[in-house]
Amino acid sequence: MSLDTISSSPLHTQPASLTTHSVPVEHLDYKYIEKCSDLKYLEKILGVLRSGKEGIYPHLTEFCEKHVEKLDPRSRALRKENFPATSASFSKDEWDQITNELQTWENEIKINDVELNKQLFFCNDVNIPPVRGSNCSIQKVTYSGDKAYSKTRHLPRSYQDWDKFDVEKECAKIDETLTTNESAAIIDDSLLKIQSKIDTTGLTEQEKVVLANREKDKGNEAFRAGDYEEAVTYYTRSVYIMPMTTAYNNRAQAEIKLQRWYDVLSDCERVLQLEPHNTKALLRRATAYKQLENLQMAHDDINAVLRSEPNNMSAQRLLEEISKKINAHIHHKPNKGKKLLIQEVEDDDDDDDDGDEKDDMPCAGGQSAGENRQAAVRGGMGNAQKKAHSGGARGPTANKYKVKAEGEPAAVANRKNLANGNSTAQPANGRPDSPGEERTESTCASGALPPPLARLKNEGNQLFKNGQFGDALEKYTQAITGFTEAAIDSPEDLCILYSNRAACYLKDGNSSDCIADCSRALELQPFSLKPLLRRAMAYESLERYRKAYVDYKTALQIDSSIQAAHDSVNRITRLLIEQDGAEWRQKLPEIPAVPVSLRQHHTAATSSTHLHKENDTQEAARRAEARFTSLKTEGNELVKKGQYQEAVGKYSECLKLKSDECAIFTNRALCFIKLKRFAEAKQDCNSALNLESSNKKAFYRRALANKGLKDYEACSSDLQEVLRLDTSVQEAQQELDEVTALLKQQRATGSPSQPRRDITITEVEDDDEEGDAVKSSSDGEQKSTSQTINLQPSNAYEFGQALNAARSLNDTAACAQLLRTVPPDSLPQYVSTQLDGHTLSFIMKTLDTHLLASEPGVVYQLLDHLHTTERFSMVLMMLNPDERMQMTQLFEHLCSVDCEDFSQNDIKNLANKYI
Amino acid sequence: MSAPLDKPQVVSHSQKSLNYSLFDSKWIPCSAKFVCLGSSCRGTGLMQIYELQHGGIKLVKETEKTKPIKCGTFGASSLQQRHLATGDFDGNLHVWNLEAPDVPVYSVKAHKEIVNAVDGVGGLGIGDGAPEIVTGSRDGTVKVWDPRQKDTPVANMEPVEGETKRDCWTVAFGHAFNDQDRCVCAGYDNGDIKLFDLRNMSVRWEKNIKNGVCSVEFDRKDIQMNKLVATSLEGKFHVFDMRTEHPTKGFASVSEKAHKSTVWQVRHLPQNRDIFMTAGGAGNLHLWKYEYPAKRSEMDGDGEERGVAGTLNLLQNVTLSTQPISSLDWSPDKQGLCVCSSFDQCVRVLIVTKLNRVRSGWGAAVDGRTAPASLGCEQSLQSETPHQTSDQ
Repeated sequence: MSLDTISSSPLHTQPASLTTHSVPVEHLDYKYIEKCSDLKYLEKILGVLRSGKEGIYPHLTEFCEKHVEKLDPRSRALRKENFPATSASFSKDEWDQITNELQTWENEIKINDVELNKQLFFCNDVNIPPVRGSNCSIQKVTYSGDKAYSKTRHLPRSYQDWDKFDVEKECAKIDETLTTNESAAIIDDSLLKIQSKIDTTGLTEQEKVVLANREKDKGNEAFRAGDYEEAVTYYTRSVYIMPMTTAYNNRAQAEIKLQRWYDVLSDCERVLQLEPHNTKALLRRATAYKQLENLQMAHDDINAVLRSEPNNMSAQRLLEEISKKINAHIHHKPNKGKKLLIQEVEDDDDDDDDGDEKDDMPCAGGQSAGENRQAAVRGGMGNAQKKAHSGGARGPTANKYKVKAEGEPAAVANRKNLANGNSTAQPANGRPDSPGEERTESTCASGALPPPLARLKNEGNQLFKNGQFGDALEKYTQAITGFTEAAIDSPEDLCILYSNRAACYLKDGNSSDCIADCSRALELQPFSLKPLLRRAMAYESLERYRKAYVDYKTALQIDSSIQAAHDSVNRITRLLIEQDGAEWRQKLPEIPAVPVSLRQHHTAATSSTHLHKENDTQEAARRAEARFTSLKTEGNELVKKGQYQEAVGKYSECLKLKSDECAIFTNRALCFIKLKRFAEAKQDCNSALNLESSNKKAFYRRALANKGLKDYEACSSDLQEVLRLDTSVQEAQQELDEVTALLKQQRATGSPSQPRRDITITEVEDDDEEGDAVKSSSDGEQKSTSQTINLQPSNAYEFGQALNAARSLNDTAACAQLLRTVPPDSLPQYVSTQLDGHTLSFIMKTLDTHLLASEPGVVYQLLDHLHTTERFSMVLMMLNPDERMQMTQLFEHLCSVDCEDFSQNDIKNLANKYI
Repeated sequence: MSAPLDKPQVVSHSQKSLNYSLFDSKWIPCSAKFVCLGSSCRGTGLMQIYELQHGGIKLVKETEKTKPIKCGTFGASSLQQRHLATGDFDGNLHVWNLEAPDVPVYSVKAHKEIVNAVDGVGGLGIGDGAPEIVTGSRDGTVKVWDPRQKDTPVANMEPVEGETKRDCWTVAFGHAFNDQDRCVCAGYDNGDIKLFDLRNMSVRWEKNIKNGVCSVEFDRKDIQMNKLVATSLEGKFHVFDMRTEHPTKGFASVSEKAHKSTVWQVRHLPQNRDIFMTAGGAGNLHLWKYEYPAKRSEMDGDGEERGVAGTLNLLQNVTLSTQPISSLDWSPDKQGLCVCSSFDQCVRVLIVTKLNRVRSGWGAAVDGRTAPASLGCEQSLQSETPHQTSDQ
C-alpha cells in the first residue's frame, strides 16, 4: 500500500461507546445545546452528531463544538484528527522560511559532520570515569531479593504463597522498604552535587559548543520550572565550557529571581562587554540597579534601551517606576540624610557577603561597585557601632568602612555615589567594569564560598538583620564548621564569617567569645577594620580598657575618620588616666603599626570624600575617573583582541592617572608577558604585590615572567606562593610541575657548572633589565621606586616592600641599611614571606660586602636568626651553586674575622645549618 | 482562523516506503543522517543510513546482519566516535562503528531472548560519568554494560529464581547529573515500573500502572530526576514528577488518555524537556507540553513533603498512518526535526514548527498558571528563553 494514500485517507473511528439511545433526537437542537451546561452530555451529543447516525448536520455540529469549547476549551471531545501539514497549509513566506531554515541547517551540519569525522582519532578516554564496580554476583543477590518482593507486591498471592508466608521475613522486608524510602527522601540535598565545573580537556571546539548549548538549555528548562538555583548552576556550567552572552544574560535573569543583585550586575556587565547594546542585559542591569536603589544608573540604562528600542514596553514601565522613585528621593533628600548614613554603616557586612555569595566569579570591579544595599530593610549589623556613630558620623565617613575590603578606588568612588543614592548627578563612568581577561581565569581565581556555606551565611545575615542573634550565631557557626571541614583555603571568607559571628556575640553580650572570634578573624586578615572595632567594643565592655585602647588606635590608623573610635579613645584615655595616673601610657601594650598601603587607600578615600563636598573638584575627579575607567576598559578590550602593545599603552596611561590600582598592574603584566617583555612584567607584578601582598594573579604572572626569564627557581617559589594562597589553581599546579621538571633538567645538564654560570648571567641581566625598565619608565615612577625603600620598616610588610625594592634595584647599600635597622631576632618574621633563593643570596651578598667588615657581630646575629625562618630549608635547596659559593665565602670571611660576639665554633655550627 | 497556526504544526518533510520491517530509527548526532534498524523478509537484520538531501531522503549506506535488529542508541558514545549500540532478536548487544559497520567494535551475548530496548548515557556530552548502555529483554533481566568491559555486565537486575519472568519492554537512563548518581528505569509487560539506583545498587521506587509499560523516558537523562513519562498498552500515559517523593504516596503523577490504542513511544524534545511527543498504535502522534504547578511540592498533614503534579496540554496531534508508529526520534541538533518509523514499513521525516514559541502561553489562562511578564522582545530560535523581568 502506498503511503501517500494512507496519510491522506480519512480515518473513521466510530465512537462505538456512544449509543444513540441515550440521546433523544429532540436534544439535537440548537436551543437545547445552547442551554445545556452538562459537559459530559454535550460531548455525547457531539459524538452522536459526528457519527452521522441521526443525519449529517455540519452547522449544528460546529455549533455544538463551539459550545463545548466555551465550557471547556481542553475537552477531549474537541480533539480532532489532523494530518501532517504540507506546503499548502502555510503561506508561501512561512513555507519558504521553514524549508530555508532546514536547508541552511542541513548545509551547516554536513560541514560539522565532516569535521567531526576528521577528528575521529582523538579519543578523550582520559576524562571518562572508571568502569562501575562490576561485582555481578553480589548485585544479583541483592536485586533478586528486592525484585522478588516487588513482583509479588502488586499481584494477589496464590494460596501456595500463603502457605509459604514467613512473618519474620515479611517484617524484615517491610523494614527494608522503610530504609529505602528514607534513603530516597534526601533528594534535595543532591542538588548540591551538580558540579559547577566540567572537565573539558580533550574536547574539540565543536563539542564544546554543543555542550555549552546543552547546559544552557538545561538552565532554561530549570528556569521555566522555577528551579532558579539549579538554573544558575547550569548556566554557570555552560559559561565555564564556553562564555556566551546568552548564558550570561540568562543567568542574570535567574539571579534576578533569586534577588542576587550583585551577581546580576556582574553578569550583565559581561554581556555588555561582549555586546555593548544588548537590550536585555541593559534592562536587567537596570532592574538590579533599581533594586539596589541606584536609581540614576538604572535610569541611564533604561534610556539606553529606549534609544535603540523606543517601543519596549517593559523598559517604559521600568522607567516610570524609577522616575517616580527618583522624584520621591529628591523630595526626601534633606531630612533623610542622616538616616541613610547609619544604614550605610550596616551595609558593609552585606556587601562582603554578597560578594562571596557568587558561585564562581572573581570579585571584579563591576560587582564590588554594585555592592550596595537596599537601604530600606535594615536591622543592624553592628548596632553598637551605629549607636556610637550616631554622634558624629557622617555619610562619607561611614562609607569608608568598605574601602579596605576592596582596595579599588574606582569602586570606592562609585560606592560613594551609591551611598548618596539620591544624588541625581552621577557620573556615568562610575559604572563597574570587570577587566576582560579576568574572566578567563575566573574559575581558578575565585575564593568564593561554596553555595551551601554561602547560603548558611546569608541566612545568618538575614537572621541578624531581623534581630535573631542567637539563630544567626548558630548559622555562622555551622558555616564556619562547614568551612573548616571543607578545608577551603580562603581566609577572607573565613575572616568575614568570624567577624559576623563576633557581631552576634557582641549583641548577645558574650564579649569574651566575641574577642576570640575577632582575634581569629584578625589572624586571618590582619588589620581588618570591623573585627578590630568589634574587639575593641568587647574589650571596652569587659573593662579591659588598655586592650580596647590599642584596638581603637589600630583601627584609627587604618581609618582615621571613624568618629566613634575617636570618641571611644577619648573616653578610654580619661578612664585610664583616672586609673593609672600620668604614666598610663607606659602600661599600654604595644600598638601595632598598620601597613602604609592600607592607610593610603583610606586617605585616598578621605580625600575623594572631601572632594565630594566641593563641587568643582568633584567634577575634576569625576572626569579623571571617567578617563581612567574608559582607558581601563579600552585596555581590557585590546587585550581581548590580542593587541597587547596597544593595551600596554592604555594601561600605562591609566597608571599615570592613578598608580595605586593593583588590577592595572596585573593586567599590564599580562600584556608584557604576552609580548615576551618579561622583565617589565616582573616589575609590574612587583608593583602589584607592593599594593596587595597576597594577589594571586600577580604571583602567578610573576611566575610566568620568571619562567620567561628562565629564572625557574623564582618562578617555582612564586607558584608555590600562588598555591599557598589558593590550592585550587590548577594552572599554577601545572606550571609548577613543568617548572620543576625544567629546573631538574637544568640542574642535571648543568653539572659541569657551565650552564649554571649561564643562569647567573641571566640573573644579572634580569636585574639590569629591571633597572632599565625602571629607568625607562617615567621619572616619577623612578622616584616613587626609590621612595618605596622605606629604611625604617616597622613591620614585616614594610620590610618586605623595602627589601624587594632594594633587590630589584640591586641596591646592596640600601639593603645593608635595612638589615641594620632590623632587630636580628625579628628578622625571621620580617623576611618570612619574602624569602626565596634570590632574596637569600641578595642578603648574603649584602652581608658580605657591606656589613661584614664593619659589624661582624651583627652579621653573626642576623645569620643566627635567619635560618630559623619558615621555609628556610626549602629556600636553601633552591640555591644554585654560585649562590652556594657566595654563602661559603661569606662564612669563610666570617671565620677570618675576630670578634668577641662569637667563636670559631659558633661559626662552624652556624655554617652547618647553611651549607 | 489564524489561531491554529500559532500552535506548533507538524509538517511532513519526506517519507519513504521500505521493503523491510522497521523497528527503530535514530538520528546520528551532529549530522543530517539517521539510521533505520529492522528485519528483512528473509529474517536477517538490516541497518540503513539515510541522509537528508535537498528536501528528500537518500539512502547512503546499508549493511545486513544475521539477526533482526530491534533497537539502537548513540547515547553511550562520544560525539567524536558516534558508535551505535544495537540489540537484536537473539539477545546480542553490539556496538558498531558506522564508518566500518562490518565488524562490531563491541559484542556480547547480553540476553537469552530478544533485546526489547536499549538506552545509553555518558556519551554525547549527555550525562556525567562513565558511558553505559542498558538493555532490557524478554528474559526478564535488565543489564547495564560498559563498552570498556568485555562479556559481563556492570550491573544486572533480574527476578529471583522461580519467579515468573516478566517481559521487559522498555528501559531508560536518568538522574546522571554527576559522576556517581545514575538511575535506570524499566517498564514490564505487567505494568510494573521499576527505578533502579545504580549508585546504591537498589530498587529506589516501583509502581504498577496496571497495563503493560511500552515506553518510559526521563525528560532529561543528565539532570537530577525531574519528570518521568511512562506510556501504556491501553492508550494511557503517566507523567511522574520525580523531584519530591512522599514516604507513602511516592511521586505525584498526572495521567492522560490520549490515544485510543497503545502508546508505543514517548520522546522528549532535546531542546525543551517539558515538551514531548507520544506515538500511538493508530498511527498518530501527539505533542504535549507539561505545565508545572505553581508550587511543585507542598506539606501534607503529617509534615511530609508531597509532590504536586502539573497539567498536560495537547499542543498538536497528527495521524500519519493506520499502523502503529514503532519509533520516534528527535534530532538532537535541529529543534523540531524528527524521524519516525511505523509498521507500515515506512520511515518519515517530520518537522514540528514553532516549538520555540511554545510557552506556558497556549492555554495558560485555563490552567491558571500566571504567564510571567514578558519583556516583549521576541527571541531568536537559539533561545534566550528566560526573558522576563522580575518586577512582581
